[in-house]
Amino acid sequence: MAELWQEYLLPLIIIVAKILVIVVPLLICVAYLTYVERKVIGAIQLRKGPNVVGPFGLLQPFADGLKLLMKETVVPSSADQVVFVFAPILTFTLGLAAWAVIPFGQGLVLADINVGILYLFAISSLGVYGIIMAGWSSNSRYAFLGALRSAAQMISYEVSIGFIIITVLLCVGSLNLTDIIMAQKSVWFAIPLFPMFVVFFVSALAETNRTPFDLPEAEAELVAGYNVEYSAMTFALFFLGEYANMILMSAMAVVLFFGGWLPPFDVAPFTLIPGPVWFLIKIMIILFIFLWVRATFPRYRYDQLMHLGWKVFLPLSLVWVVLTAGVLIFTGWLPLAGGTL
Amino acid sequence: MTLLKRGVRSVLFSELLSGLMLTLVYFFRPKVTLNYPFEKGPLSPRFRGEHALRRYRNGEERCIACKLCEAICPAQAITVEADPNVAGNCRATRYDLDMTKCIYCGFCQEACPVDAIVEGPNFEFTTETRAELMYNKEKLLANGDRWEAEIAANIERDAPYR
Amino acid sequence: MPRVTINDIEIKVDAGLTVLQACEVAGIEIPRFCYHERLSISGNCRMCLVEMEPSPRPIASCAMPVTDGMVVRTNTPMVEKARRSALEFLLINHPLDCPVCGQAGECDLQDITVAYGANQSRFQENKRAVPDKDFGPLVASAMTRCIHCTRCIRFSTEVAGVEEMGATGRGENAEVGTYVEMALSSELSGNMIDMCPVGALTSGPYAFSARNWELRHTETIDVLDAVGSNIRVDSRGNEVMRVLPRLNEDVNEEWISDKARFAYDGLKCQRLDRPYVRENGRLRETSWDEAFAAIADRIGKIMGAKGRKIAAIAGDLACCESIQALKDIMTAFKSPHMDCRQSGAQLDPRVRAGYLFNTSIANIEDADLCLLIGSNPRYEAPIINARLRKRYLMGGFSVALVGSKADLTYSYEYLGSSPHILEQILSRSHMFAELMDVAQKPMLILGQGALVRPDGSAVLATTRNLANKFGLVSHGWNGFNVLHTAASCVGGLDLGFVPEEDGRNVAGILQGAESGEVEVVYLLGADEINTTELGSAFVIYQGHHGDAGAAAADVVLPGAAYTEKDATYVSTEGRVQQTHLAVHPPGQARPDWMILRALSHALGKKTHYDTLEELRAHMVHTNAVFAEVDVAAANRTARTEWTAFGTTGEMNASPFINAVENFYMTDPISRASKTMARCTNTFHVPYLNITGTNG
Repeated sequence: MAELWQEYLLPLIIIVAKILVIVVPLLICVAYLTYVERKVIGAIQLRKGPNVVGPFGLLQPFADGLKLLMKETVVPSSADQVVFVFAPILTFTLGLAAWAVIPFGQGLVLADINVGILYLFAISSLGVYGIIMAGWSSNSRYAFLGALRSAAQMISYEVSIGFIIITVLLCVGSLNLTDIIMAQKSVWFAIPLFPMFVVFFVSALAETNRTPFDLPEAEAELVAGYNVEYSAMTFALFFLGEYANMILMSAMAVVLFFGGWLPPFDVAPFTLIPGPVWFLIKIMIILFIFLWVRATFPRYRYDQLMHLGWKVFLPLSLVWVVLTAGVLIFTGWLPLAGGTL
Repeated sequence: MTLLKRGVRSVLFSELLSGLMLTLVYFFRPKVTLNYPFEKGPLSPRFRGEHALRRYRNGEERCIACKLCEAICPAQAITVEADPNVAGNCRATRYDLDMTKCIYCGFCQEACPVDAIVEGPNFEFTTETRAELMYNKEKLLANGDRWEAEIAANIERDAPYR
Repeated sequence: MPRVTINDIEIKVDAGLTVLQACEVAGIEIPRFCYHERLSISGNCRMCLVEMEPSPRPIASCAMPVTDGMVVRTNTPMVEKARRSALEFLLINHPLDCPVCGQAGECDLQDITVAYGANQSRFQENKRAVPDKDFGPLVASAMTRCIHCTRCIRFSTEVAGVEEMGATGRGENAEVGTYVEMALSSELSGNMIDMCPVGALTSGPYAFSARNWELRHTETIDVLDAVGSNIRVDSRGNEVMRVLPRLNEDVNEEWISDKARFAYDGLKCQRLDRPYVRENGRLRETSWDEAFAAIADRIGKIMGAKGRKIAAIAGDLACCESIQALKDIMTAFKSPHMDCRQSGAQLDPRVRAGYLFNTSIANIEDADLCLLIGSNPRYEAPIINARLRKRYLMGGFSVALVGSKADLTYSYEYLGSSPHILEQILSRSHMFAELMDVAQKPMLILGQGALVRPDGSAVLATTRNLANKFGLVSHGWNGFNVLHTAASCVGGLDLGFVPEEDGRNVAGILQGAESGEVEVVYLLGADEINTTELGSAFVIYQGHHGDAGAAAADVVLPGAAYTEKDATYVSTEGRVQQTHLAVHPPGQARPDWMILRALSHALGKKTHYDTLEELRAHMVHTNAVFAEVDVAAANRTARTEWTAFGTTGEMNASPFINAVENFYMTDPISRASKTMARCTNTFHVPYLNITGTNG
């Protein structure tokens, strides 16, 4: 009994507790991201944004959540019911699962696996399935077209994201996220690899279906894209998944280019602030840029989107991989985990 | 030259950045939103809101049942009836205004020779039922009594321009 | 024919026209207030000023006769300024009360001010106010609005023939009114309301009840007398709001009598709006089916008598359609007892000329002598009386009266009241015979008072002899005229709604009902009979008012009044005219011919027509006169025959008594009218109660 407790139950409880410690604040963050988004866009449009529910409208996300919870989940009669219900669950789960490898601070990580970045990349790529399933199972033209666009767009930009990650990995020599962060102790990769950061950020916008690449949800043409048939909690799950993804992509950007939890300067006042706070601040800044971009730019046309992905970002990132590798070899800065070439 | 310029511009995202700068500036600008039920915007003295039937200062109804408002109403929202046997000469026995038909064009108040029917400054008269929007004479007179101060002030303010 | 040049258009006009009329010929409208085609010219409004070369100042076009070579301009700045100034003067004392003025919307002053006036007044002083006059129950006055055009004064003096109105005072103090405070004692006083170009004289009963732009106009015919005046019924919703005259030069010109104009409120009172059946001595509301069942039940019981026990009387307001339908039912029951001469006038249905106003109203103006027999046209037909006065004013027209003395609007020679005077004239032993010999186009008007007598038929024959002897009937002229008082009578006679062989007339029917020989009496709006004589007969009353007939009825069928149906009436001059539906009949009431058609189905004697068109075609088949609408007998291509009518016999010596005693109450509608009751009190009763002390 004691063995069972020691061997299985206690670790399980600890892991569940750890998961909750990550997931609950994450969901609250997601909720407040929607609030902040409305506030930021409102401010840019000279409005006030939500300000009625609670002080400064702070309870607005909960009101929205409650509303969605109370509403009826409508499943279209011609929909594939199992897939239809499973799709948002998948999107939501994947949006949370990726956080397993994100290090919030020195050693503050749920699973410090050595292929963390690969896991992250894989999980974020899987997101497309939820959308494809939703679009297909809805048995609706709008949803299907939205899903197709989403799939095409996510795959297109994943290629360049892949090359960007390779560029970073070349500079680190490890797939472990903690190692990636520690490698930026002296200088954040955003400085030497700035163009790659820009490409990464733009690709992240496309990957998360954000404006100006929100073609799958283009309300003017597709009503609401793949989630047009979704209502109540199924819709809420999509919504949460998407915003969780946004935060995840921001976290990825921070990990890859902004030195994760590391303070900007390794000197007294900055080092006093704990790592997770730095991490959070950095994520928030990236998220703000997400929102800022949304409020500024109009939507891309679909062919422009594809053009940008395949004809600009792919060659550019490819060239940067070669360039970076060449520079690293030429200068002998190439870090080797297992030894020398 | 142009090509170079355009190339540099697109590589450096100068247009995108200027757009972002613009929105950032707006982000810090004072907001124009009115916190509606608590704050209200300014209203022109010519604002055409909820209708009211006015009285003279001695309490006498202004309306003389001339039916010019009824005649001019393009939406045919007004029904006036007069019966000298019931209400005496020059008095409406009935003044019905269908607020669901009304298009708030203000012709009625323009047509009125005695400034009896006016569109007052009140725009907050939503109701819970459709029937409540079928105004009768009592309702319109009550509106007039309630808004008389504002209506009179508005008419006075607008008078120099008429 | 003078040639005049108006605005550079050269036209030839008849000599004697005024410049204003010449302008009208040229198609140029001249604004005017005081000028009216049918009244004398006064030239006091100054609105019609035009420029005439070489006069340095404008001239009043209404009062200036045209001369050859005249050059007139109506569009110069001077004319424009003259009009604007004239209007400004008129508006100085005219109140700005258009919103409460009954004339607003059809006011000459309003229209002309919009068209020619300035948009602002320069008058700063106080406007004058004039106390309102009491013109009686019909004409309301707001004398402050008066612009002193004197149209009303000229109308009352010239057309109505009552010199009761006039202007008093001068300048600022000028006022129009009756010299002494009194009601206007004319049967045409309502026309003054139409004459008035502003809202000074308005309709009393109509005041403040509606605005004229809300009204729906229906052009129809008046049936309250036998003239067939053309009227326009103005209605709002399902309510008649007022009645106005319609222009018809051959009938009423543009006048109508006060009864035609103001009795409309009787259409809203005392109406029968559902069928009734008498049960235990009381009338009980019922359904159409039940009412028809009661009739069928009763008629079924007497079927053995082959219809000889059924009789029908058509009243004064019955339309030709319903008379035809009722006649068809009576024929189906093989009943000969029917009569449309409710008053008992002994008219001869065989010869159409024997019961018509053959001269026609318009041709009165050609006559040079008129003999009135047992008639007071002023009460029986004010429109015809107005024509007679119009003829009288032209001069060279002598009028004589045999019958009771009357206050006509022209001077006449009173010959006496006895029928024997006719015989004296016939035997040339009376002085008047000489006048008749001299007359080129003599006419006589035979009133109902002379025919509603036991010896009426003899009077008719004697009158015919008179007409023959004195050349009243010659080529192109027929001076023999019967003046009817009931709108239905000529139509009924034309359709043959008279007793067939050994059938009973009205008196006979009543007699039979009293004695029990007639068991069912069908009253088609017949209210002027002595209902107590109906005895125990089963009385069916079809009509629109709860009058004497309905009170005596066992079954009441609610019909439609003349404003509520499309119906045909034949006027006293044989003019077939049609009324049109202005409002719908109240409640369950239905157009009369439909009721009779439905009744014929209920009785198992189905009529062969189902639509109004079919019924009218059937009427044309019965009598071809119904094919020609709005043509007087005098103008018809097929002239009426002039064969013998009436029965020669002794006339008794009793004096003629006029048919209409109280002009304001002659039929169920006017009897139900409050306005007419007020008129009776004002105009009729005082004269009845004249004693030595009150003058």
